[in-house]
Amino acid sequence: MKLNVNTIKSNRAGFNAIARIAEETSALSFDSVVLDFSRCSFFDANMAAPLYSVISRLRDELNSVSVVNIPSDIKEILQKNHFLTIFNIGDLQDTNQTTIPFKIFKLQAGEQFSDYLDSYMNGRGIPTMSAALTKRFRQSLLEIFQNAAIHSRSGAGVFTCGQFFPQKHRLDFTIADAGVGIRENVRRYTRIAKMDSCKAIQWALVEGHTTKTGKQPGGLGLKLLKDFIRMNTGKLQIVSRFGYYEFSAQEESTIKIEHDFPGTCVNIEINTGDTSSYCLKSELSSDDIF
Amino acid sequence: MDNRITIKVADLIGSRLCISAEDGQKVFGKVESLLKDGKDVAISFDSVTMLISLFLNVAIGQLYGSFSEDEIRAKIQVEGLSGDDMELLKRVVDNAKRYYANPHQYDAAWQDVGDEDEQ
Repeated sequence: MKLNVNTIKSNRAGFNAIARIAEETSALSFDSVVLDFSRCSFFDANMAAPLYSVISRLRDELNSVSVVNIPSDIKEILQKNHFLTIFNIGDLQDTNQTTIPFKIFKLQAGEQFSDYLDSYMNGRGIPTMSAALTKRFRQSLLEIFQNAAIHSRSGAGVFTCGQFFPQKHRLDFTIADAGVGIRENVRRYTRIAKMDSCKAIQWALVEGHTTKTGKQPGGLGLKLLKDFIRMNTGKLQIVSRFGYYEFSAQEESTIKIEHDFPGTCVNIEINTGDTSSYCLKSELSSDDIF
Repeated sequence: MDNRITIKVADLIGSRLCISAEDGQKVFGKVESLLKDGKDVAISFDSVTMLISLFLNVAIGQLYGSFSEDEIRAKIQVEGLSGDDMELLKRVVDNAKRYYANPHQYDAAWQDVGDEDEQ
């Protein structure tokens, strides 16, 4: 089966285009899928992570997946961020050091993910940022990673990559999985069997809402992430099944996408020039906390 | 004389990264058993380089399911956290108090399920 990969930008249309590929191939097993990039005029490098959610599902059903007709400029980007190694196409050296390579992590690999972030901070990929911003950024990514590992219920792992845009002082970082999606977890927890994907994302964003069982509090990770993005004047996108959520200083919206994205993807775009201190209150002591 | 027992988190979990629920559970287990024995506990985060809410929910937030606020306030101290991490812990603690006051609350408004076309 041959499928066109159209232009993929880090926006609703881009995620929808990836979800379309998933939907059109969802019934395949032991088959062959060829992703044809000849109509792709642009591909945001960080979107390799959600595209891999689709590829992972296909490979899980023992389909063979290949890529053809990748325009040379796009091929170069996807070689620099190591994405094409999954198709046995070699890497290219990233001389500008603006990519954070595509990587597949096992669910228990939180510490390895932290090492990966360390190795791409300090000028290799992630630009030099204030200490406070670096810490909040790393904290946010680790929260997202661990959320994916806990909630995806997929053995395929967690897929990550990032791209720095030096002219715009913006860094996009994307974490995706090929799991059941936020909707399934929220439906199971709330016992609202028909809750739709958009509502489920909104539910998950409420402080204190968690689908964890076992009588443990939770539900802070996404709220903390949103607070960080607000202060940083960055952008947050969450895509899960038919739901697309976007948050920035300008807007907050949840919109249905036409096709079913096979998992969950969180993309954050941060303003790397931010010098906020991220410490709001005066010094707290143990007595103030408990 | 200070009878407080210090738990060095980094030593106990064997990592400077407080990022997993499993490690949080290990810390929770130690603190819980010491509190049950009537001990005072200092939880030291010295040499910890990264801390996230997921870990703190399990390690410390969870204590509010077993002990009263008064007991926790009287018996537990935390050490070695920077100002922003103390803020994070405060957020975790406030959330835990709300959670154990009503663990299965969710607004009736969510019963409006939305898009009927979605399977």
